[in-house]
Amino acid sequence: MAETIRKDLEYENDPNLVHNAPTKVRVKKKIRTFKRYIPFFIMLAPGLLYLLINNYLPMFGLVIAFKDFNFVKGILGSEWVGFKNFEFLFKTQDAFIITRNTLLYNGFFIVLNTVSAVGVAILLNEIRKVFFVRLYQSIILIPFLISMVVVSYLVYAGLSVESGILNNTILPLLGLEPISWYMEPKYWPFILPIINLWKSIGFFTIIFFSAILGIDKEYYEAATLDGASKWQQIKKITIPLISPVIIMMTLLSIGRIFYSDFGLFYQVPLNSGMLYDTTNVIDTYVYRGLLQLGDIGMASAAGFYQSIVGFILVLIANLIVRKRSKDNALF
Amino acid sequence: MKYFNRLKVLFLATLLLVTACTKNESTTNSSDQSEGSNNGKEETYELVMAFPVFGPVPKDMDKVEAAINKISKEKINATVDLEPISIGAYDQQYNLMLTSNEKLDLLMVSFRTVDGLISKGSLHELDDLLEKYGDGIKQVFEPEYLNAAKHNNKHFIIPNYNEMAESNGLLIPKKYVDDYGIDLSKVTEFKDLEYVFEQIKKNNSDIAPLVPAGVGFSILDHYRWYDSLGDSIGVLPNYDNDLQVVNLYETHEYEEHLNLLRKWYEAGYIMKDAATNQDSQIDLLKSGRGAALISGMKPGIAEDESIKFGMEMVATPLTEAYSTTRNVVGLNWGIPITSENPEKAMQFLDLMFSNEEIARLLHWGIEGEHYVEVSENVIDYPEGVDGSNSGYALNQNWMFGNQFGSGYVWNGTSPKLAQDYKEFNQTAHLSKALGFTFNAEPVRNEYTAVSNVIDQYKLSLETGSVDPDEVLPEFISKLKAAGIDTIIKEKQKQLDEWASHQ
Repeated sequence: MAETIRKDLEYENDPNLVHNAPTKVRVKKKIRTFKRYIPFFIMLAPGLLYLLINNYLPMFGLVIAFKDFNFVKGILGSEWVGFKNFEFLFKTQDAFIITRNTLLYNGFFIVLNTVSAVGVAILLNEIRKVFFVRLYQSIILIPFLISMVVVSYLVYAGLSVESGILNNTILPLLGLEPISWYMEPKYWPFILPIINLWKSIGFFTIIFFSAILGIDKEYYEAATLDGASKWQQIKKITIPLISPVIIMMTLLSIGRIFYSDFGLFYQVPLNSGMLYDTTNVIDTYVYRGLLQLGDIGMASAAGFYQSIVGFILVLIANLIVRKRSKDNALF
Repeated sequence: MKYFNRLKVLFLATLLLVTACTKNESTTNSSDQSEGSNNGKEETYELVMAFPVFGPVPKDMDKVEAAINKISKEKINATVDLEPISIGAYDQQYNLMLTSNEKLDLLMVSFRTVDGLISKGSLHELDDLLEKYGDGIKQVFEPEYLNAAKHNNKHFIIPNYNEMAESNGLLIPKKYVDDYGIDLSKVTEFKDLEYVFEQIKKNNSDIAPLVPAGVGFSILDHYRWYDSLGDSIGVLPNYDNDLQVVNLYETHEYEEHLNLLRKWYEAGYIMKDAATNQDSQIDLLKSGRGAALISGMKPGIAEDESIKFGMEMVATPLTEAYSTTRNVVGLNWGIPITSENPEKAMQFLDLMFSNEEIARLLHWGIEGEHYVEVSENVIDYPEGVDGSNSGYALNQNWMFGNQFGSGYVWNGTSPKLAQDYKEFNQTAHLSKALGFTFNAEPVRNEYTAVSNVIDQYKLSLETGSVDPDEVLPEFISKLKAAGIDTIIKEKQKQLDEWASHQ
């Protein structure tokens, strides 16, 4: 099977054979080619169907963002209102703050997570005892599996004014005054990235670690023979060889840069009002604002806006990647 | 490959078309059926009734349902399919049922969602049905309260009959009152509380005398001197103010209360973590971290709360009882627009309010199995049964029609609780705007912005956690920038309009 397909590919890519052939023959060839691919199409079908039903069909609901949605009239029957549902996102004084917070935090998360996870993955690769590799891997993965609500309580145990470890044990030891962490916005641009890193580093590390494991050991042997130091090996072999994975992961994260981890920004600061200047992001703003109104149109508008911006950013990022190295681009 | 691409597009297009069509078909079908059922021989109709449960779903729900159906089939030729949904998932679940046209005939809606449902047209108008089938309901309510549940002068919902008003007061375990020699007769208004807190702090410096009455609540959430008109964005001070809506956060009284709270916070009378508290008031009091709280009051509150807290509690009211729209429309029954037989739904609703047998089944379960009568009109668990192993320990009698419709009270509560409630409801002061509901739709952009600003400042200010001298002006100016004046103007307009119809 694989053999015939490769031949087909060669055949199709051969301009002399395909494009100069008479039309009738070409159509015939096409049909035959298609027949050969049938088993593959069948294998593709469940995944494709899932994608259609789960990801493409709901897109129809995007029209709600442009409608004054009414249950009686239904989605198609409701009246069009143009961009009125989007107004609330931009008309407010907070529009700048929430956009800035969302972009800066998520941008910083991408850089911080990628750099740290690649570092940890390289370190893991240097450990020779399999038992310890497994052990460390599990330990750094555990936070990823903990729900954000639980994380918020862990953080609270550290930062609470009345019973927190920091205020009751650590700060007095250092001779410092207790701090009302949940009332002081200035500390949160540091607290949130730390928590995010602690929570998601395990996931990224495993992806990069498996990419490193896929590198042929012969490269390192050859490098060692040539007298390359560990640092040189990392710089010249490991990182270049896993860069496709790094680029792919980064592109995927950029697509979601306008969405933020709701748990991290809502649960972890305990929805404390005084912190909004540094913790309010688009998702939390929409949630708080619409909690009472419950307007489906406005909520869809916010989601639509987020995905459009994400989509455009992915296109731009991909374009930049493709300019530099065509093989690493997603599409 | 091109051939296949075309195939894909075709497939996608048909799929979209098919889904769009089926949706339309199902709606037309349903309306046909409801017309058909009116003429000709009547079949027994099965009503689907969705309501939230606050604990686990009782395992004998089906038995209770069967017993109810026996009565309802005979009386109105309809059976009911009870659909209990856990409270956490309730809003999502019923919204899904509504949007997907699932069969649903009776729906419990809370004050938070009712305006949205009505403005989106998801609920049936009930005036004619109430006129035709609702005599039992009308008998239970004082007319002013049933009228207060109207929206745009029409009935869309039937509230449950329980406490129709609320006063505010202090709730404190009896042991502290006795041990620390607190004379509660000295406490008649808000500022007198300082004396109570002082006594507690003097005797026990480890405890926070005042804690919030729940996670996410501020102290002032349960102490009001104004009609919040639904959301506290534009209020009526003293429940009257000649129907002139004002900005609560700019009033002198509000500032005074904040200053007092700040003073208490700095003196250590209010829990330090009050603004970010994550523990329920029950946990706080049980673990000895907090001593008292300010809470809403109703008849029998001390007994109710004693059971909840697991220790004897004392309640001291600080305000008189007032009734606002919010008190009347707490949890309500509505008939979704998708219901195929609203007549039967209304008849069942009426039966729930007026039929003692059905009320007993919904409130307490089956006699002998889930409860026994221990003395006249007082019931308790049968022998060997308690809250943990009873098949029907729902305890949500305040959600199914008339809270006292069963004629029973649970052992431990006052046997004359029903009379107390009736008296409480009949003697409560009525807010001048009782019955008014604000529709935020015309000012929704401002509304989202203002909601965010309030979320940002309210909790910190109203727990004394921040200095009002500094933060209150900032709060007010941000509210203005977010457009609170536009909302208040709109509210005033709607209120004037409402008043002209009264």
